[in-house]
Amino acid sequence: MSGEYLAFLALALVAITGGVLMLNLTKVVHMVIALVFTFISIAGLYVLLSAEFVAVVQVLIYSGAVTIMMLFGIMLTRHQEEEGEKTTTGGFWRKALTAIAVFAFGIAVYLGVYRLDFGEEGARLHENNTEQIGMALYSHYTIPFEIASVILLVALVGAIILAKKDDEGAPKS
Amino acid sequence: MSMHTLLQYKWSMMTPEFIVLITALILSLADLWMPNDKNRRPLAWIAVVGVVIALIATAGLIPAKPVSILYDTFRIDSFSKAFKLLVLAGGALCLLLALDYRPKEGLSHRGEFYYLLLCALLGAMIMASSGDLITLFVGLELLSVSSYILAGIRKTSAQSNESALKYVISGGIATAITLFGMSYIFGLTGTTNLKEMAFEVQKLADSNYQYLLALAFLLLLVGLSFKISSVPFHMWAPDVYQGAPTPVTAFLSVVSKTAGFVILLRLFITIFAAAPAHGKDPSSLLLSMQNYIAVLAGLTMIIGNTVALRQRSMKRLFAYSSIAHAGYLLVGFAAMSWVMIDSIWFYLLAYVLMNVGAFAIIQRLSDEADSDDMIHFAGLYQRNPLLAVSMGIFLLSLAGIPGTAGFIGKLNIFLGALMTEPGHYMLAAVMIATTVVSYVYYFGVFVQIFFRPADEAASVKLPVGLTVTVVLCAFGTLLFGIFPSLAYQVLAQFEHFGDFLQ
Repeated sequence: MSGEYLAFLALALVAITGGVLMLNLTKVVHMVIALVFTFISIAGLYVLLSAEFVAVVQVLIYSGAVTIMMLFGIMLTRHQEEEGEKTTTGGFWRKALTAIAVFAFGIAVYLGVYRLDFGEEGARLHENNTEQIGMALYSHYTIPFEIASVILLVALVGAIILAKKDDEGAPKS
Repeated sequence: MSMHTLLQYKWSMMTPEFIVLITALILSLADLWMPNDKNRRPLAWIAVVGVVIALIATAGLIPAKPVSILYDTFRIDSFSKAFKLLVLAGGALCLLLALDYRPKEGLSHRGEFYYLLLCALLGAMIMASSGDLITLFVGLELLSVSSYILAGIRKTSAQSNESALKYVISGGIATAITLFGMSYIFGLTGTTNLKEMAFEVQKLADSNYQYLLALAFLLLLVGLSFKISSVPFHMWAPDVYQGAPTPVTAFLSVVSKTAGFVILLRLFITIFAAAPAHGKDPSSLLLSMQNYIAVLAGLTMIIGNTVALRQRSMKRLFAYSSIAHAGYLLVGFAAMSWVMIDSIWFYLLAYVLMNVGAFAIIQRLSDEADSDDMIHFAGLYQRNPLLAVSMGIFLLSLAGIPGTAGFIGKLNIFLGALMTEPGHYMLAAVMIATTVVSYVYYFGVFVQIFFRPADEAASVKLPVGLTVTVVLCAFGTLLFGIFPSLAYQVLAQFEHFGDFLQ
């Protein structure tokens, strides 16, 4: 049992725990913090795979930007504490069926991977990987990169028109 | 990479994409600089003209040889040309619908409405012409993100909000599943280029790898079934279709579905047809997975058609009917005859015409009443006979009655299912039986239109955009129903999509 394996186990455990906690906690701020745990441990997994650049991006964008966005969203919206309210989560059979489906899928995937041998690990993966990503992104994958900019534009426009408060006198056509 | 190598690529092949993108940009700037009190409806004409020019440009590219730009991240072959024609035609018709969309409470973001539709169309076009997993996925996301916003653009309508939220949540889950499946194929082959993938998977002889590849296949099938709204990811369709603005509903049922089939065919035929599998002769993973696709196709047809029987709301009815049509199209795929792509193309062509036409009429009647209940169709024949006859044509075509394009499309798929060795008799039988079931609800609408008395006597007037749509669709439905050879001549130019893997 190597140190890498132990680190993987710890990080994976934190990531999964964070995800489960996010679903089960009731306060929004707690959920966000649970999510941050997941994001950061995933960044740790990237480091283990010698993808430092992706790890840094993960911390910057997910743990940083996305979390801050969520906190702003929580601060700027009115939300009542809904502790007394009952929400329906489906009956026993529905839950049981979902659980069976999830476990069946987990077992199916586990059967596929537990004795999988990918041969030798690439030894030069860590060399200049930021540079390599840059080269691939701006030459090989220029077209999807440009289309991603259109997606961002669409998302920006969408966020504005869906979140903007319409003034009453605005013209409607 | 130097500028020189970059300029060596034939960028002119991307003309249709550039035209749609530039039109969208022009519209967004025009919308920004127009005075606030100006009506945005004329912008739709610019959008329609842009899409029609892109359509002509695509038609002009038909004789061109297959071209690959930047390692297949953009590729144009007969498959992409054929389906881009469909997507653009459907998009232009939906924009005409959007031109005359007049909800009761008004639409406060009309400018955005048009250029988001164009962006969604661009996503569908990109999906049609790419040979790289990353570009395919980016195109898919562009289409999805734009559609999520479009579904919720009626901000004051609770139904529209519900529809957008349901769409974004189930869409997110579907994307996650698709991406998980893609990550397995990428992990096994180490490349995102589809042709290289096809080459790499041939070498995967170990049964462990094949198991994972089969798992990836199923994940992709389930994830992509969201876009084509087939079982097991069909439950979003009725709620989203009902709540979304009618032009968006038409767009989702036509363009989005076409794009879903495009990515499905492209991925599965390229990657999995070459993959070896145990215990099958000829050994191909795609053929050994045929039964799973067939079961999903059967379930989709049965669920879509039987649940549609109980609907009173026209948009929900058409949502279930569109699920059923996805089932018929999947039969074409599951049969895997050599006319597979041709028959799916023809069916989608017929489907674009009849479905958009029907939605144009639904939009006119539901905008007026602010409800899409079937009751508003009562006595349409007395209020506007021509409109009633057009709706009759669309319904007959959707039901698959001889003389309409829908019949020819169904016949092609049906024959394709029997053509293979061994034939898919079970699947063909289910298709016939569910088609008969579908007569019940299509003719229910028929009865409302022609034999029920009208509540109000006022005749129904059709605005320009809708008139053009209805006339074009009705004409096309009859034309391709009576002279299907016209469409076959177009198909003949693509030579059975032989350059798919070149």
